[in-house]
Amino acid sequence: MRFDVVIIGGGPAGTGIGLELQRSGLDCLVVSEGLGLEESPRREFVEAGGTLLQGDTVLGGTISEGKVTGVATRNLKGTPIEASCYVLATGRFFSKGLISTMDGIFEPVFGCDVLYDRDSTNWTNPDFYAPQPFEDFGVVTDDQGRVSIGGRTISNLFAAGEVLAGKIGMQTGIERVVNAVLGRK
Amino acid sequence: MMNEYDVIIIGGGITGVGTARDCALRGLRTVLVERFDLTNGATGRNHGLLHSGARYAVTDRDSASECIKENRILKRIASNCVERTDGLFITLPEDDPAYQDKLVEACRAAGIKAESIDPAEALRLEPSVNPRLVGAVRVPDASVDPFRLSSANALDAAAHGARILTYHSVTSFIKDGSRVVGVRVKDTRTGEEKEILAAMTVNAAGIWGQGIAAMAGARIRMLPSKGSLLVFGHRVNRMVVNRCRKPANADILVPGDVVCIIGTTSDKVPFEECDDIRVTRQEVTALLDEGCSLVPALANTRILRAYAGVRPLVASDDDPTGRRTSRGIVLLDHESRDGISGFVTITGGKLTNYRLMAQMATDLVCRKLNVDKPCLTAGLPLPGSERRLNPSRADAVAFKAAEGRHGTMVKDMDFSHKSEVLCECEHVTKAEIAYAVKYLDVHNMVDLRRRTRIGMGTCQGTFCIRKVAEALAEELGCPQKAEEFLDQYVRERWKGMAPVCWGDSLREAEYMRKLYRK
Repeated sequence: MRFDVVIIGGGPAGTGIGLELQRSGLDCLVVSEGLGLEESPRREFVEAGGTLLQGDTVLGGTISEGKVTGVATRNLKGTPIEASCYVLATGRFFSKGLISTMDGIFEPVFGCDVLYDRDSTNWTNPDFYAPQPFEDFGVVTDDQGRVSIGGRTISNLFAAGEVLAGKIGMQTGIERVVNAVLGRK
Repeated sequence: MMNEYDVIIIGGGITGVGTARDCALRGLRTVLVERFDLTNGATGRNHGLLHSGARYAVTDRDSASECIKENRILKRIASNCVERTDGLFITLPEDDPAYQDKLVEACRAAGIKAESIDPAEALRLEPSVNPRLVGAVRVPDASVDPFRLSSANALDAAAHGARILTYHSVTSFIKDGSRVVGVRVKDTRTGEEKEILAAMTVNAAGIWGQGIAAMAGARIRMLPSKGSLLVFGHRVNRMVVNRCRKPANADILVPGDVVCIIGTTSDKVPFEECDDIRVTRQEVTALLDEGCSLVPALANTRILRAYAGVRPLVASDDDPTGRRTSRGIVLLDHESRDGISGFVTITGGKLTNYRLMAQMATDLVCRKLNVDKPCLTAGLPLPGSERRLNPSRADAVAFKAAEGRHGTMVKDMDFSHKSEVLCECEHVTKAEIAYAVKYLDVHNMVDLRRRTRIGMGTCQGTFCIRKVAEALAEELGCPQKAEEFLDQYVRERWKGMAPVCWGDSLREAEYMRKLYRK
């Protein structure tokens, strides 16, 4: 199966990017783990001609010479999915876009570089209502929204939404990736 | 002028409420003062283990014999607060194999039924136990809910005329020469101050008893020993699981209602920390490591929260672990000890022995007052435990759940109205909240949680707490307080979550922030 763009994650960031790119004439696939609180963005994406894999999970991807060459999902194990660009929009901890243990935090699909405090006792602020440090942890991106693995930038893998490190807003993150993907085209 | 009371009891832990009940049953005009809510100290921050005494059999025969006697009494008089789980002491390959025989022998000498069973039988009885075990001993340990037990004692004390004044802090003693004749207290909610006079005052303030005694002019040296525990997201084990070795850190896993609790650590802490103790990451790691050798499934079980209490141990030596300190009951007659009459201290001991502690304190008070009345607490069932109910669990329907928590007191709940279930994990209805407000001295969310288990289940209140805060505010007649109640609950919960914030607990934390941050 081949698409122009494969988007991993069917939340606000994933569907937001999917909808814009699909409307710009690119053939997009969104892989969405489960049901969301808000179904209408996904419906809109499908109505715009996008392909939605609902209830499926991207297990991992292959990377060669600094580029993602394909991903595999749980339901379509035998069928490699290929695209020119890939977008990681898997969310933070609750949606398992980031996995934490007592000793560290990692990004489970590609093993992207993650920014976080190495001392896990600093992950929370004792005041519930204060900003929580763990909410700023996430994958590291360059100014076009591209992630890196082992310090090396992956030229066709972008990230957006809550999986991002720092305080990049939802809309900024979406626009950055949309512009970068359309610019590459 | 005649005093309004015969006896003042300071402290609303299990020892205080137990003493209040005993005094009231013997006809003494009794008042209990507690600066926060009932069970705010060590009573509400332990395992909820009703010891069989086996844990102390090898090292402290007297404590062990006391435990088994009280264990049997509480199973009878507090049947509604006790779950007869029984317990196992398991021996792992790295443990001294000789300890098991020593334990069985010591138990028998202390009057505790202890039977050695083979590993296969242990695994059949308790499938969660580490399959590497090489031996096990079965003992009559049980699980007890300290909140319900305290509540039942307070209810019965009040039913026999005692006044229970929560949120009243003692500011000073009133003395006549070297005689204590009463206390000055401050209502911590209204700021109102008043004097209470009585012929006798009992210091049952746990670790804070050192300060109370000092206020009266007596010196007690207590050794604050912090014990930390972890609550897991569901009930992994059905029996109490202990490690068969000399008592050490994190070697008891106790099932309680729908969860289970591993503990404890033991560390000497400075006195100043007793009011705000927090669990450290080192303690969490130690609890998890040891817990997983008892029951390996804990490694993959979500941790709900961490909490800690301070044991009210009376210093006998400078053992830094606080573990070799005598855990015996300490009753101090300050008249003979310090020349201060009208004042006694009851401390040390443990949850399992609270009734005996109360009896000893009340016996002394009665002697001082020349009252000759026998202690009745060993025979009279506590409210809610008057008759044996079919054992019910929190996963039953709401009525059964309420009956499980409050026993026969469930008759005072109005299920014809307010039958809406608010807390789905524990099946707590509006009717139970209304009951708690009316009868159980509830002023805020933390009080309510202790009385009803609201928010103590798997979701820890994440899904229900807004509804609960509104319902409580309404029952208390102050709907404007709902927001404050919600805040209070969320902050209290965060305190327990922060030390264990990784894995599924961090996922839950992120979700909670999304729902409740401002």
